[in-house]
Amino acid sequence: MIDSEEHPYVEWIAREARRPVLTDSAARARLMAAIRAEAPRALRRRRWAGLLAPRTLMLSPLGGALLAAGLVGIGVIAGRFVHNRDVRAADGRSTTVAVTPQLPVSDTVVQFVFTAPRTTRVSLVGDFNDWDTNRTPLTYDGNVGVWTVTLPLSAGRHLYAFVVDGSWIPDPRAPLAPDGGFGHANSVKIVGGSRS
Amino acid sequence: MTHTPWRRRAASLASASALAVLCAVSVRGQDPDPLGRLDPNSRFAIELIMDSASTAGLPTRPLMSKVLEGISRKADGRRIVAVVRTDFGYLKTARATLGGVSEEELAAAAAVLEAGAKPSQLAAFRVRQRGRSDLEAFTDWADLLTRGVPRDDASSAITKLWQDGADDATFHNLWKSVQSDILQGLNPGTALQNRVRETPGGPTPRKVKPPEGQQENQSSR
Repeated sequence: MIDSEEHPYVEWIAREARRPVLTDSAARARLMAAIRAEAPRALRRRRWAGLLAPRTLMLSPLGGALLAAGLVGIGVIAGRFVHNRDVRAADGRSTTVAVTPQLPVSDTVVQFVFTAPRTTRVSLVGDFNDWDTNRTPLTYDGNVGVWTVTLPLSAGRHLYAFVVDGSWIPDPRAPLAPDGGFGHANSVKIVGGSRS
Repeated sequence: MTHTPWRRRAASLASASALAVLCAVSVRGQDPDPLGRLDPNSRFAIELIMDSASTAGLPTRPLMSKVLEGISRKADGRRIVAVVRTDFGYLKTARATLGGVSEEELAAAAAVLEAGAKPSQLAAFRVRQRGRSDLEAFTDWADLLTRGVPRDDASSAITKLWQDGADDATFHNLWKSVQSDILQGLNPGTALQNRVRETPGGPTPRKVKPPEGQQENQSSR
């Protein structure tokens, strides 16, 4: 065992340890500046940690059901919005310019024209719109007194008719198809042939 | 009250979100059953006809289109079934007469039969040049019959033009002239006879031999 009184280095080490530490004011200022610079980063880390840290939420069964219903409602509204937007785009109100870039290669833009100055509503029905009387309304051009609609059709033979104020009328400018058992003839449009 | 762990809450929220997305997708892609507006008996009968058409290799699209047309016209369910059954018969006859043709041509041929042509008159179209479509010929033929042109007159005129190689424009121009004359009050049969005499057999003389008696009258139109 080494005794301090017997070893000069021990005494020297003890003397050095007892000596007060002297720091200059510049060093102290540098240290405080470094701490101040570090503080915002630590605060931001604490905020993220607060957001990311797992925690327990308390929700009653009724509250949970309401939350779920709300989310479902948002989904339904969003779905209806998208659906209605597509229907509006397909119902013939779009211009040819707007429709053409979206056409499949096989489709052809076809314009349907019906002359009827004294009618209030004309729509187009056919095998291309499931014979839906509301899906393809025609637009009236008062300058020339005609109703028109332009829409893309796939190549082939299409049956159609105009619905003029509720009455089904074949296109006077197109060949007729037999009445098909429902009492009124339809019109025929051939798309993509050598004539169209 | 027990505290539900955050993970379970998160899972519940995720499930609700997924449900919301599913609802949105289902609303977006909603395609109502087209037969849903028929009474059960009519629906069953239509489904049987559709199955028969599929089994026979016939297109079901024209038949379904007829169903939708009937529904849109607010026709009675029994009426719709009768119409679709009749159309199915025409399609079957057209297929038996013409053999393998496209769905469009088959539907057009069925319309010709429905307008009053006999299957034997349709049989002349069984032989055709490769790539030549008879859609326009069938469409104009059915129109002439629907407007009251006598069956044999319409059939012989259209068949003759077809056999002489007339193109779509020739058929269409014939139809346009005849229907214009009919609208002006001319007898349908007479209108056809007059216009057929003026119609060249086809636009390309190298391929087409004009119908007899047309040589001296081709430039009259």
